This record gives sequence, structure tokens and C-alpha cells, in this order.
Amino acid sequence: MATSDVQRHAQNGNGESDSFALSMIWPMVRAGLWGFTAYFAVAWITAMLAHTVIVNPLPATLGYVAGLIGWIMGSGIWEGWIRRAFGGEEAPALTGVERYFRFSSDPKATATRYVVFNIVAFLFAGLAAMMIRIQLLTPDSTKWWLSEIHYNQTFGIHGLMMLLAVAASVIVGGAGYYLLPLMLGVRNVVYPKLLGLSWWLLPPAAVAVFMSPLIGGFQTGWWGYPPLAQNSGSGIVFYALGAATLLTSSVLGAINVVGTIVYMRAKGMSLGRIPMFVWGLFAAATIMVVSAPATFTGTLMDLSDMILGSHFYTGPGGHPLAYDDQFWWLFHPEVYVFVLPAFAAWLEILPTAAQRPVFARNWAIAGILGITMIGPMVGVHHFFTAVSPARMPIFMTLTETISIPSGFVFLSALGTLWGGRLKLSSPALLCLMAMMNFLIGGLTGIFNADVPADLQLHNTYWVVAHFHYTILGSVIFTWLAVLYWWFPKVTGRMVNEAWAKFHAWWFFVFFNMTFLPMFYLGIDGMNRRIAVYLPYLHSVNFFVSISAFFLGAGFIIPGVNLLWSAFRGSKATQNPWGSKSLEWHSVSPTPYTVFPEGREVVVVGPNDNYAAGASEPFVWVPTTPGK
Amino acid sequence: MAMEKSGSLMDPASERAKRGAFFFLMLFAGIIAAAWDLARFVWGGTGIPKEADFGLGIGMGVLMLLSIAPMWAARRKLDRGDETGALGNFSALLIVSLIMLAGIVYGWRAVPIGTGYGGIFDVTSGWLGLYFVGGALALLASVMKGKRVPQRFKDERWVAYNVLSFWGFLVTSWVIFVLIFYVA
Repeated sequence: MATSDVQRHAQNGNGESDSFALSMIWPMVRAGLWGFTAYFAVAWITAMLAHTVIVNPLPATLGYVAGLIGWIMGSGIWEGWIRRAFGGEEAPALTGVERYFRFSSDPKATATRYVVFNIVAFLFAGLAAMMIRIQLLTPDSTKWWLSEIHYNQTFGIHGLMMLLAVAASVIVGGAGYYLLPLMLGVRNVVYPKLLGLSWWLLPPAAVAVFMSPLIGGFQTGWWGYPPLAQNSGSGIVFYALGAATLLTSSVLGAINVVGTIVYMRAKGMSLGRIPMFVWGLFAAATIMVVSAPATFTGTLMDLSDMILGSHFYTGPGGHPLAYDDQFWWLFHPEVYVFVLPAFAAWLEILPTAAQRPVFARNWAIAGILGITMIGPMVGVHHFFTAVSPARMPIFMTLTETISIPSGFVFLSALGTLWGGRLKLSSPALLCLMAMMNFLIGGLTGIFNADVPADLQLHNTYWVVAHFHYTILGSVIFTWLAVLYWWFPKVTGRMVNEAWAKFHAWWFFVFFNMTFLPMFYLGIDGMNRRIAVYLPYLHSVNFFVSISAFFLGAGFIIPGVNLLWSAFRGSKATQNPWGSKSLEWHSVSPTPYTVFPEGREVVVVGPNDNYAAGASEPFVWVPTTPGK
Repeated sequence: MAMEKSGSLMDPASERAKRGAFFFLMLFAGIIAAAWDLARFVWGGTGIPKEADFGLGIGMGVLMLLSIAPMWAARRKLDRGDETGALGNFSALLIVSLIMLAGIVYGWRAVPIGTGYGGIFDVTSGWLGLYFVGGALALLASVMKGKRVPQRFKDERWVAYNVLSFWGFLVTSWVIFVLIFYVA
């Protein structure tokens, strides 16, 4: 079937109905079946041969690898990619709703699965956060709630999942992979199958981390620091394997992002005309490709110490501090992987909301790229308490330098608003709230980077407050903004504005009531990662916990709102926000083939010129048949 | 169920894009290999234990250097449009990759993993072994596709080019490995 036929077929909604339900459900069921079967078969055989039990590190590791392969093969990758690559029968790609439930090379389906996965991961990791706050309702809750060991497991799972299964992909995965081709004027990314694979790596990794308590859990928090890791319970192998798999998933997406931007832009889309959001994706992807290897190797060396008998970080010849360097080489700039797409989303949403061009656009791009370049060099500030004095001033200076390019982006956003007539829609409101939160998170980060202050604040609740302001306060607020902003593009319907704004204020108020007191707790001497604390800290902790429960419960509102609006929301026009950006120049909801056969877009001007009477930035030209 | 064949408008990247973007994948893989190589000096010091199998390492290095010949021959044939002719060279590289895998596993017996040098040697060569597994599978896929569906092999020439580029990456990675672990 030619693609033009597919277009008509998909647009008319005349998909054949035979075996429809089965075709939707079967790949997921098969993937799970093959995954679990492979896991238990290999883990069991290994345990038998190694004269050990199935939950020991080696059987768990080999079982995980087998289970991962079984899962991705069952998802449809075998007939959709592998078999064909070896010269086998060419399986047709499904273009209907079935593609959302199996391996697919359609980036829109992949991105939609990312959104669903992120929401589910956020729910479970959020429940872990609620368990943590229940624990801290009283100074010692170990008698009636979690033991110290289970408390450690809980905050480790919460941290790892919130960072790698939520923050790392909420904007890049859900919005980025959907919008990248649309914003660049192409029908797909450079390696669509690789992008499809990236999502299928997520569920097994998340299941492994969430299930790690079943094989002993891990005590290290989300860092996995040796030598505690080696004495931490077998669950640490699920931590290491899950983290490595999640990183691999991010890298597969990053390679697609960079390759697509470099090689597949529409005609006339020079570097200066690339949308701001795409610049944010480019920066995040660059960090992943360049910085992930160091952390990837550290994680695998940690694992090697546990299952192969090497001594990279343990024993007389081990260098545990080397792990810290490797770990933070990526995981500090990983914060920018989260936040740079959020910055870029502000600069995509606010100009439209204010009907003003991006202020100092080139400086904003320079800021984004500046953060990208400096980011990987600053990780040592996470362990000032463990390094020689010679390293301190160097990394203090480098870290504080980050403020300068960050300031470029902030000033660009503020300058864009200046003199504009801001239409305060829920996405714009959430962007402003995210900016406010990030300002607090960023300013308090300067104290963490400053050696004398850091030696006092290190490992206290000050740090917990700081990074929640940057990640939850900035990235997750922006995630909601992004979901609301591009919701009409994906579904053809509007989100209920009243409920969206109500929740935005709910979120803002209870977020600040939860995390602002943590700065005080940190200064007042409360260490992080402790299940039992001194009684004088009780009243503030009690207040924080109650606020956190309201904060967590509030997420029912956007959950219901998004679901309800997807089916019952008011119908959206093609370009409800009045944006000049290219993605709004196609039909909403986006059809399977977003740019139809027979014409292509040529960029002839900037996509943020909102002056009265400004010409359209895009023209459509006919193409030769078949293209 | 609406269906679409692969290789249609919904995979619009040009051959230039498919081949060019592959660089980023190799860049990522290369940085990992470099990280392992550099780690040799952290954990293995600068000395080379006498148990290290120098002959095996150099022999495998020479084999990889010799494999440049079929790699270039295959590339020239692809440039000329002689895709079928390149399959013999792909098969030769496949055999080399299997020999390399066997050599890597055999090399693990020399120095115990519990020592600094042995640990980083085994992990680094093991990681490069994973690259060889990937290379062998890609070569096997190319050979099978070239024989079973020659037209598709020709239409998707970028895949064959990328496989050869990856082989060039493997040669480079292995030579650097030999220099660092057996010579430096």
C-alpha cells in the first residue's frame, strides 16, 4: 500500500476491524510473557549451575538481560525490524491505533507511549515520596511504618525513578519526540526504529528498579556509591541494570535528535531559524551523547565488582572516589538534560502568549549552548567533602560560572514578556511559576557551589529543597505547561482551562509549602536520608508532610482533566494559541503522515515575528510525485 | 487495520542523513571505549604483568589491521554499485569478527580479574567483545539480506555503508586497545 493510500486510509478512519482488539493487546501481552519467561528461565538455570539462589547478583543479572531481550522481541521488534533486517518477510507497519501498543517507527506513537509511561512512573515514584513523608510525620516512625532499611530502599527508588524514568524524558520524550519532526518540517526522525526501540527499554528497567526490594533492595539511594553498593543487598544489581537501561534509552533518543537536527531540517531552516524548543532538545541530546559514557562505564564497573569479582571500587586496590567522578560526570549535567528543554519550552510558549518575538534570541541560544558546554565539568561540587582542597576552588568557580549562561536564558524570557500583552493561559501561567521556582532553585544552588557554605549545607535538607525546586518546581511545572500547550495538537481538543489553572495554583502553593521549609530544616541541622530525626525538628517536618500530602493529592486534578479533555474537551481549532511555529501549520490532531505527499515546506522567515502584518514564515511548494 | 510498507514516505531520511547520523552513534560508542582505555592507567598502573598474553594481543591487532583490506574492497564495490560483489567481503569480515570474539574470550584466562590490570583488561576487552557481537550480527544480516533480497539490499545501501563504517571503528578501537594494554 502506498503511503498516499495510507494517508487516505488513516484520515478517513476506515481501518479494517478484523482482529483489532487482539492486534492491540497481543504485543504487550507477548512482550510481558516472553520477558518474564526469559528472566525466570535464565535466572533459574544460572542459579542451578552456580549452586546459588535465584536472587543472587549473577542470576539476577543474567536473568534481567535475557528478560530484556525477550521483552523487546515480543513487543514487535522481531517482525517489525530484526526479521526484515536479515532479509526476511517485510512486516507492514500498522498506521492505526494499534501502533500505540506495539513496536512502531512512528515517532508520534512513541512519544505518546512516553507520556503514558511518564505518568505511570510519576505516580509510583510519587507514592514512594508519600511513603517518605509519612515516615517523617513523627521523629521515629520505624515502629509503625518503614524500618530504616526499607526507608533507604524507598527513597532510593523514589530518586532514581523520578530522575531517570520521569524527569529525563517527560519533556524530551513525550513532547520532544512528537514535535521534533513537526517543528523541523519532516515526516520522521533519522532513525525511526531506533527511536521506537528507546521506549521499549523503559518498562523493564522501571519494573526492575521498583521490584528491587523483592531481591533485597538497595541502601545507597539513587547514587549507587561503592563500597556501600557491594554490601547493600542484591537489589543493587537491578538498580545498576535499570539505570544503565534507562541511560541507553535516552542515548538512542539523543542520537535521533542530534542526527535529525543536523541532517533533516526543512529547506530554508538555517541555524538561526531553528525553533527554540528544538535548540533545547539539541542541547539535552548533546549532553547525553557526550557525558553518558563516563557514568555508563561507572555503573557497569560497579556491577562488575558485584558479579564478576573485579575490584574497581572495593578492596585494597579499589578507588571508590573514582565512581563519584564518573557518576557525576553525567548526573550533574543530567539536570540540564531535564531543564534545558524546559527553558526552551518557556521560550516557545511565552512569545506566543505575549505575541512578542523571543528577546535576544541569539543570546538565549548562546546561554543554552553555554550551559551544555560547562555542565559536564562541574560535577565535583557534589562531593566537596571528599576531595582534596586543590580541586575545590576550580570546581566552585566552574559551577558558579553556570549562572551566567543561565542568566541569558532568564533575561531572554523576561525581555520577551516586557511590553507584551500576555494572555495568561494555563501553560503560560505554569511557565511563569516554573521560572519563579527555578529562580529560587538556581539562587540556592550558588550556596551549594560555594565551598564554605557547602561544607555546612552538604547532606542536609537544604540540598533536598534546592534540587526539588530545580526539578519538580521547574521541570514538572513546565511538563504540565507543555502537556496543556500541545494537547490540542495531539488530540484536537482543548484542556479545561479552569481546572488547569486551579491545579496550577494548587501545585504552586503546596509545592512551596512543602519545599520552602526544607531550606530552614537544612540550616537547622536536619540531615537528608534519615528515617529517624531529633524531636526539635518535628513541628516543621509535620507541616512539610501535610503539605506534601496535599501536593501529591492535587495531581488527581490534571490526571482527570487530561483524560476527560481528551474525550470530552471542547474541539480545538488548528492553531488555538495563534502561534507562528511550524507544528501548528498542519492539521490537528496530527495525522499519521503529517506532511502529505506532494508538497513540502520552505522556511522563509523567523517563526516568532508577531508584528502586525508580518508575513508568514513558511511557504508550501509542490514536490515530485512520490515525495 | 491500516498498514504501510517500510521504506516509504514515513522514513524520509536521505542516505546522507542515515550515514551521517551514524557518526553520533559511533561517537557515543567511542567515548565509552576511550573511558575504558583510560581507566587502564587508573586501575592497572603503567606496568604490564608478565602473565599478559602479548602474542595473542598483537596477533589479534594484526588481524584487525589486515581486515581493512576487505573493508575497503567492499566499500569500493558499493561505490561502483556492485552490491552483490561486496557480499564476499562482508563474509570475510564476519569470519574475522568470530575469530576476534573467540580470541577475546581466550584472552581472559591470562590475568585474574581480581587484580587491577586483569579487571580493567577483562572489562574493556569484554565491552569491545560486545561491539564485535554487534558487528558480527550486522555483517550476518547484511550477507543474508544481500543473498535473499538483493534489491532491498541495494535500495538500502546506507545500511551496508554503516556496517563498514562500524567495522572501521572496530579496527580503530582494537588497535588503540592493543597499544594501551600491551604496549603503553
